[in-house]
Amino acid sequence: MPATPYALSVRDVHKAYRSRRVLRGVSLHLEPGTLAGVVGENGSGKSTLLRVLCGQIAADAGEVKRRGSLGYCPQEAVLNDALTVDQHLRWFRTAYRLDGTGRAEELLEELHFAEYRHTRVEELSGGTRQKLNLTLALLHDPHVLLLDEPYQGFDWETYLRFWEVAARLRDRGRCVLVVSHMAWDADRLDVLHRLRDGVATPWNAEGQPVDAPRGAVR
Amino acid sequence: MSRAWEAFRTGAGFALLEHARNRLALVLVVAYIPVWLTLEHWFVTPAPARFLLRADGQTVTVNGNHLTMVSGAVNTVTLIVGFMMFMTTFKALAFDRRLALAGYPRSCLLLSKVIAMTVASALIAAYATVVVCWYWDPVRPALLALGLFTAAVSYGGIGILLGAFLRNELAGLFVIIMASLLDTMLQNPMSNTGGDKQGLQLLPGYGPTQVAVAGGFTSSVTPYGHLLLGPAWFLAMWLFGAAAFVARTRSHLPATNDPLPTESAA
Repeated sequence: MPATPYALSVRDVHKAYRSRRVLRGVSLHLEPGTLAGVVGENGSGKSTLLRVLCGQIAADAGEVKRRGSLGYCPQEAVLNDALTVDQHLRWFRTAYRLDGTGRAEELLEELHFAEYRHTRVEELSGGTRQKLNLTLALLHDPHVLLLDEPYQGFDWETYLRFWEVAARLRDRGRCVLVVSHMAWDADRLDVLHRLRDGVATPWNAEGQPVDAPRGAVR
Repeated sequence: MSRAWEAFRTGAGFALLEHARNRLALVLVVAYIPVWLTLEHWFVTPAPARFLLRADGQTVTVNGNHLTMVSGAVNTVTLIVGFMMFMTTFKALAFDRRLALAGYPRSCLLLSKVIAMTVASALIAAYATVVVCWYWDPVRPALLALGLFTAAVSYGGIGILLGAFLRNELAGLFVIIMASLLDTMLQNPMSNTGGDKQGLQLLPGYGPTQVAVAGGFTSSVTPYGHLLLGPAWFLAMWLFGAAAFVARTRSHLPATNDPLPTESAA
């Protein structure tokens, strides 16, 4: 049987911090062109899962396979207060080995913060810091995008714009995985998993478990 | 221009810019060094003091006020550079990890910080030497500046190590302040009559102090071996700090990932 094409394939991932078992066999299978979500209560292991998926920490057991480049947006804005928005973009363009400006100009316009490009991060509001945080993850137009509560601090308009950007990425064949502690946005997602007791279970848009085979496939 | 050079140039430029925008460090450099040295100039007795210049194997008798100013200059530059590097390393841990995750070469990241620290140390040592020269004429001011520079880099290394391991700003600052104060106080015969005892050679400021005193008071002694002690301290501390960074991050340089079959996603 031919394997389903995947952008991100996670199989039976375990992770413990000393005796505390955070992930107890998480499995996901996400195709290219998927807008997926993982919800879970505070402390359910969502951020740990994302850190395993992006390779920041190693899983104790299991397998993570990814096709294509990766973008990762951490929950807390990880920026350098002494540098301006433009300087961040330049540094990450170098990191991603981009010849041109990448998607920088487009994202500055889409997220409406081009006017702050010469402002130091220490002078930015929480929402604008978060926009830059997100932009750095999207700059190289990654094939797989992992977003950890990416809209914290966004006003309503920016929140809606974020979902427009995410939907456009999905439509262009990108795989976007959004992690959140609330399932508000379930109807915007193609696939929803709930992380509970260290295991990810497919849920439907109504917030109910789906009686489906393991791993949600769009 | 190669990718590696571009990455290094970008990193070193921003690391330097970060130091230049560290307002507290700038205030300390501009105000603390002259204030500290001026107070020592005013209040410390010029009575002769005997200092064991191990580089020459002899004890030299020098102006106590001038000797204390050399010791004070070592103290100020070590405090400032140690503090700068501690704060930079401490605050940038998550950002550096993110850059590494984005594919920025970790070697460039580590090296660019060393270059920025070296430039900052050289400027601060030169400035402290100018302040000393304002009050008296060291015999060889260039060697005095070199001694201060090696003192600065040794504590820069200590700052990097503390920044990599401590999780509390106050703890890091306290360790740097106490280490620097003890280091200079124990070696200065004006504050410690046993300043010629064995064992003081193990202090990070020992080599730099020997060089700085040789530069301030002698015309012929050039302690080449002692010149290397400060950089050796830096290297040892930096290697531990760099090892921690490498252990906590993974290389994310472009891998041979399969290209994503975006065509099939339609």
